[in-house]
Amino acid sequence: MSQRRVAITGLGLVSPYGGDLADFFTRLCAGESAVGYLLTDDVPRPLSMPFVSCPAFDPDAVLGKPLASMMDRFAQFAMAAAFSAWDDAGLPRKDEGENRDDWGVAWGTALGGTMAYEKGYRELWQKGRERLSPLTVLLGMNSSANAHISIQLGLGGVSMSHTVACASSAIAIGEAFRRVRSGEATVMLTGGSDVPQAYGVARAWEALRVMAPGDADTSATACRPFSADRHGLVLGEGGAALVLEDWDHAVARGARIHGEIVGYGTTCDHTHLVRPEAEGQIRAIELTLADAGLGAADIDYVNAHGTATAEGDPVEVAALTAVFGERAASLPVSATKSMHGHLLGGSAAIEAIVTVLALRDGSIPPTAHLGTLDPACAGVDHVTTARHGQPLRAALSNSFAFGGSNAVLAFRAIDL
Amino acid sequence: MESIGLIRDFLKDRLGVEPENVVPGAVLAELGVDSLMMLELMFEFEDRFGIKLSRDIKTPRTVGEMVSLMDGLIAQSKS
Repeated sequence: MSQRRVAITGLGLVSPYGGDLADFFTRLCAGESAVGYLLTDDVPRPLSMPFVSCPAFDPDAVLGKPLASMMDRFAQFAMAAAFSAWDDAGLPRKDEGENRDDWGVAWGTALGGTMAYEKGYRELWQKGRERLSPLTVLLGMNSSANAHISIQLGLGGVSMSHTVACASSAIAIGEAFRRVRSGEATVMLTGGSDVPQAYGVARAWEALRVMAPGDADTSATACRPFSADRHGLVLGEGGAALVLEDWDHAVARGARIHGEIVGYGTTCDHTHLVRPEAEGQIRAIELTLADAGLGAADIDYVNAHGTATAEGDPVEVAALTAVFGERAASLPVSATKSMHGHLLGGSAAIEAIVTVLALRDGSIPPTAHLGTLDPACAGVDHVTTARHGQPLRAALSNSFAFGGSNAVLAFRAIDL
Repeated sequence: MESIGLIRDFLKDRLGVEPENVVPGAVLAELGVDSLMMLELMFEFEDRFGIKLSRDIKTPRTVGEMVSLMDGLIAQSKS
């Protein structure tokens, strides 16, 4: 069967800055951090950490109270991002005569409705209650996000969720891409969302000793990928969505095309749960380039996984230098987690959007707060302030997860 | 009478139904109460009034039927 080209016709997110997509990208290019300081009133010890919140997000206003009350916060982010991407694609929310039986959803989430279950535990163990709302199951299940999206947009094809830690939405997007490319689906709504501030979840992450410290004054610059003085990652909440569409279908309806998704590769290190291996990442990048029919010389930007952990950053750079060889030294790389944080299952989706916008607008957002480069992370062209007016042809977005799962997406600019 | 108040508050909060439309003759399904919302509404009653609804309870069709059912159970629980 001949392969279809896959257009990206819709982009949507819940921005931690509170504005729209254009505002989000402008602030990223300005190097503006969305990282704030989270201080809760939890007992016995409050959460106190750098964190990316979306305080301006009002689910009742965006979704309507009846719908919002049927969802855990991660699904509210998913639905809001999906509506935004769908509107951006110029598609009507209810099908107007066009059959959507092969249109689907592939959503990424690492944690799913953890908040709903945590609320349940609090009710039972802290408040001494004996029963829980019957909605708890429906709020808590990981597939609630994709299910709500399918219902709201009238999509009759596959509706699934992918849980692969920090690569969840990269794999969701990749699997969605394959379905459109093969002709199985005309349109796929894809992306990811997560809400990592459940008390038990955030405490567990702290225990791993991979979280950057920070207080009210220092949180904004707490996440410093590739920097000699990096101290770890910063978690964040949020959601981001993309509409992937059969190219001919998009052209026929006169849709605006932001960019093209052209490749996807995924591998497993199969060595260790948390210690990444360059070899597995190299295979994922090479698979993606081959899948896209691109060579190393065609790539003009890499949005790195770049979480700012001691172990992860140098391994990623080692993988890039191995794949790109002589080209590596002039290969622009940035880690935008320095500003939007690590959304776990939502990370790859927000970074896919950043990569598509970089290609579309010819602007590379920086790795923020990268003062002194760690010599162990040298070997690529680290972008530390935004570069505009760049004739970018193709770009990669890396996602390398706990568990050793690696997923890489390749995108191409149009009109170049 | 407490029952109708709870139903009105619940439907206003969850479905945006105006309280004046929540009258004894109104059919719950037509107000937007599906099977899931019915479970949640029954849970609210159990929670608020400390009553226990048996599993084989007949699902009320109208607001009036629900009020009679709940008022009866609440009265029983107090006696």
